Amino acid sequence: MTAVTDQDHTEHADRAGENGGAGGERSAEGASTEGTSGEGTTEGGASGGGGSDRGAHEEPDGSKSGNGRTQKADGSEKGRHARVERDSAGTGARADAGRIDSASAEAADAWDDGLIARRVSEEDGGGERVPVAEVRGHSALPSGPLVYDGRLRSRLEALRELVGLSRTRLDSRTLAEAGRVLDEAAARRRLSGQHTVVAIAGATGSGKSQLFNALAGVPISETGVRRPTTAAPIACSWSDGGATLIERLGIPPRLRRRPLQNPEAEAQLRGLVLVDLPDHDSAAVQHREQVDRVLALVDAVIWVVDPEKYADAVLHERYLRPMAGHSEVMFVVLNQTDRLPGDATHQVLDDLRRLLDEDGIALGEYGEPGATVLALSALTGEGVGELREALGQFVAERGAPARRISADLDAAADGLRPVYATRRRTGLSEEARDEFAARLADAVGASAAGEAAERAWLRNANRACGTPWLRLWRWYQDRSQPVTGRLSLRTPEDAEATARQRVEQAVRTLADRASTGLPAPWAQAVREAAVRGSQGLPEALDELAARAGLPPGRPPRPGWWPAAVLIQACMTLLQVVGGLWLLGQIIGFMAPNLGVPVLLMLAGIVGGPIVEWSCRMAARGPARRYGTEAERRLREAAAGCGRAWVLDPVAAELLRYREVREQYGRVTGVVTSPR
Amino acid sequence: MVTLDVRPQLLDALSALRDRVAAARFPLPLAGAPRARANRDELLAQLDDYLVPRLREPEAPLLAVVGGSTGAGKSTLVNSLVGRRVSEAGVLRPTTRTPVLVCHPEDHHWFSGMRVLPDLTRVWVPHREVGDELLLPGEDPARVLRVETADTMPRGLALLDAPDIDSLVADNRVLAAELVCAADVWIMVTTAARYADAVPWHLLRTAKEYDATLVTVLDRVPHQVVSEVSRQYGALLTKAGLGDVPRFTVPELPESAWGSGLLPASAVASLRTWLVHLVQDPAARQHAMTRTAHGVLDSLKARMPELASAAAAQYAAALRLTSAVDTAYDSEHARVRGRLQAGAVLAGDALKRWRAFPLDCSGQELLDALVESLAALLLCAVTAADERVAEAWRREPAARAPELTGREPSLESPEHRIGIAVRRWRRELEEYAEEEVRELDRSVAPDPEVVAVLVATVLLGGRRARAAGERLAERIGAHGALRLRDRGGRLLTETVDRVMHTERERCLAPLDALDVHPEPQAELIAALSVLQKER
Repeated sequence: MTAVTDQDHTEHADRAGENGGAGGERSAEGASTEGTSGEGTTEGGASGGGGSDRGAHEEPDGSKSGNGRTQKADGSEKGRHARVERDSAGTGARADAGRIDSASAEAADAWDDGLIARRVSEEDGGGERVPVAEVRGHSALPSGPLVYDGRLRSRLEALRELVGLSRTRLDSRTLAEAGRVLDEAAARRRLSGQHTVVAIAGATGSGKSQLFNALAGVPISETGVRRPTTAAPIACSWSDGGATLIERLGIPPRLRRRPLQNPEAEAQLRGLVLVDLPDHDSAAVQHREQVDRVLALVDAVIWVVDPEKYADAVLHERYLRPMAGHSEVMFVVLNQTDRLPGDATHQVLDDLRRLLDEDGIALGEYGEPGATVLALSALTGEGVGELREALGQFVAERGAPARRISADLDAAADGLRPVYATRRRTGLSEEARDEFAARLADAVGASAAGEAAERAWLRNANRACGTPWLRLWRWYQDRSQPVTGRLSLRTPEDAEATARQRVEQAVRTLADRASTGLPAPWAQAVREAAVRGSQGLPEALDELAARAGLPPGRPPRPGWWPAAVLIQACMTLLQVVGGLWLLGQIIGFMAPNLGVPVLLMLAGIVGGPIVEWSCRMAARGPARRYGTEAERRLREAAAGCGRAWVLDPVAAELLRYREVREQYGRVTGVVTSPR
Repeated sequence: MVTLDVRPQLLDALSALRDRVAAARFPLPLAGAPRARANRDELLAQLDDYLVPRLREPEAPLLAVVGGSTGAGKSTLVNSLVGRRVSEAGVLRPTTRTPVLVCHPEDHHWFSGMRVLPDLTRVWVPHREVGDELLLPGEDPARVLRVETADTMPRGLALLDAPDIDSLVADNRVLAAELVCAADVWIMVTTAARYADAVPWHLLRTAKEYDATLVTVLDRVPHQVVSEVSRQYGALLTKAGLGDVPRFTVPELPESAWGSGLLPASAVASLRTWLVHLVQDPAARQHAMTRTAHGVLDSLKARMPELASAAAAQYAAALRLTSAVDTAYDSEHARVRGRLQAGAVLAGDALKRWRAFPLDCSGQELLDALVESLAALLLCAVTAADERVAEAWRREPAARAPELTGREPSLESPEHRIGIAVRRWRRELEEYAEEEVRELDRSVAPDPEVVAVLVATVLLGGRRARAAGERLAERIGAHGALRLRDRGGRLLTETVDRVMHTERERCLAPLDALDVHPEPQAELIAALSVLQKER
């Protein structure tokens, strides 16, 4: 038999090594290696068929008991049965099976919306879950591992970094899907790139197994009227070396088959690994779980629908709509056209196209990438050739695994969009920073302090340059009425000079400003950073305000001050001298001469207030400068404190978000420039 | 056999129960709320469309609803039973979008009125030529019931062709569920390709739960496999505890589905005979009717407590949300009081001004600063409370109701309201000070402004403002100072309480608007127990 002798020897060894020993495949292979003539082919086929019969006959007692879902004992028995099979097959369980289970359970919850017709009772999936061990080991690398192109590789790398960057900020549930995609991409990459795993999925009774058999050319998968028919996935590999791929799907060796040995067909479909799935819509829930598990792992899917069921809500809502992004690795096949009269096939096919379009699935018409929609009849063979051709071309391109991973990546990125992307502008504006500083300055009372300092300086200047008589009068007043301002100054320095509530409010406003437009987890992070930073900020402000405040004691004096004081003293002296002179004349001690002393006295009396007034005018400028200086020092101290304690951590958090956002842009394939 | 005795008390109890069910609301998006809402609608539909009309008029014709998944051949079956094309059948799915009711012409008056299915618009199409467009243009096909009459129908029986029970069109699904609920006899149609589908089995199980008069039809069976498929299906039914349900098998014939429409009479003869027997034999009719009616009445025993517990869960969730608000505002309120006592208002700007008073700062300025500082304290407390509420609500699934999350910031922001309240306090305090000064019989009356400033400082400054207290006592005497302090303090407490209360109410307003009360739970249970007593 030529097909067999052509086989690569290394692959032989490989397969012999990994097959621990199980029925179907080995017997089929044994038969085909023994056969050397054309007769051997039929023999091999027959014996392969026999093996499959045996394999399939083992299943139905499981599926039969699984049919009555209400009987829990049967279900758990089946579960145990399945576990034993899996263990003995030694394929190992998928590490992520548990995750997929939970995902499917979630999907079931979402779909179970309480309508009368779609109740999912609680015990439906309860007992059947098989606990899985975390085993993932593929020691033997098949020839020619899968190679992703540079863009996909960099996107995967970006996703890995993104997950790493945001693990502290996002909960693991949000990142689970991304992690799964990464794991799957890595696992698939280690496996053969020469093979394409295609699953045949569909509703019960749509003829999945029939199509599977028609493609394989031999009755591998059991077909029948009893529903549901197929209970466990069956794989059929057109060329060798795909064993690890099948192993990844968790299909035991006794459910692996070979197609009819036919050089022509083999050449056409070389590299194809076809998987026949159980139904997804029957009352046997474990079938649906199997389907969900395998669908997450295969490279492409052929959806088989029939004229009766092509519009089922379960198919469209549960599977096609969520997988709309995978249209490039999707075939939709309308089977059983032999049951339709005449032109009804076109009508139904058009309607099917319309429904797919409504599901958001791109249709591969006119050479555009998208799902391939075909009509065929597996029973009569009409249209199967077309599918075989399309499949052959598809497999020969060897692009399906990468495209599937890419679609997975798109879906995962889409799912992560709400936690990373935002349409609004983010970041801390200059106004927000200024406002924060202003609020902090308010909290330490900078403007009030400045004003007070200015007035105090002015007051001192007035007092210093005022006429002595005024000073005397003031002094007398002060004595009669105790001054309270000084009294409060004498009280010990308060522990809480900074208004706590204003600081709190300032931080809150800033956090709000900084986090507007951010996705929720990052907004939360920014807010936390602000709150963390603000702890201890009031105390720091207290201390800083005390230090940055004006030095105690008398304010500094300008250079002209002594001169003004001197002139004022001269004026007083003039008054005194004039007065004395006059007194002297009055008591006759001196010669009477009214003019000069009166003039002197008048000059003193008028000059004193003039000097005082001009001093006050002249003091205004320095006083304002002094007050502004006091305010500025406090303001700057407060702003510096706020920057160090709050603004910087917030800005760091924002920067981190921007980094993550950029990384996300890289994941989606659109690199955005940082704003 | 139980007879269907209908006493007016029972009807009264039933309509009271119906009103209770109709009044039940589940506005909070809890885990069980969508299910509870669906259950309520379903129960309401069953009461309105089936139970109440049936108990009122036991002599009305029996309604048999043909239900099943898309493509099961329901329309073809109805057409074949009637003997002419009354409902569209075709290869495109979903086919039937408008439910069609077929009855004998003399029974027409039972269905033309609003006795059953009151919320569906009736369309009556006089006999039309086969091949006409049966769907009326311009009507919303989902909420319309087409009533057809046919002489071939036996009297006392109406057939209703429902849309797909699991249609891709969501409205159809809802409508189908509603129609199935209105049936005296449930005819479940499934096919050789579908009999193991999950969807029809859910329906069958529901039928069993309600103990409805049920008959299943295994349609479109290729004749080669009739016996095997039938046997399989029978085994599945027996396993599900439905072994005694009458089962009919209709073979797949070339005319079965695709287009032309009518199966030969022989294919559906047995089903037709069974139905005719059901309506013409009084005992069988009575039995079928009673069984479904009692089934529904019995199912109330389980369904009403379910609704009641959903209502209770709603109330509990609302209570949790309310208490989160209360806790947040209470603790913030306590914090504000503590801060006030500690003199936190006299800090920052106000403190600087107080230190400069009266030499370098006027009384008005100090009072302005104090009032502003008080407003800042209150605003800070309110926003902090809001933040805590948001934090607590984020953990509650119930808080995700659009009415609660979509709160628009009210036109008057808290800041504005607090400002008004605080300024009002200041005005009143100034009035008090003036009064106090006027009563004072001193030759040199102190400036009322200064008195007001000092009183405000004393009230807001806590221990820090001891000096202010001394000076106040100097100005208006110890008694006057004490009196003024007390009055001002009471006023301050009132203001703070009012502000916190107003803001709490604002926070609770959307929740109150949802109107979640504890009563529905008790009322539902009470209505059920009254009904139980009347039976």
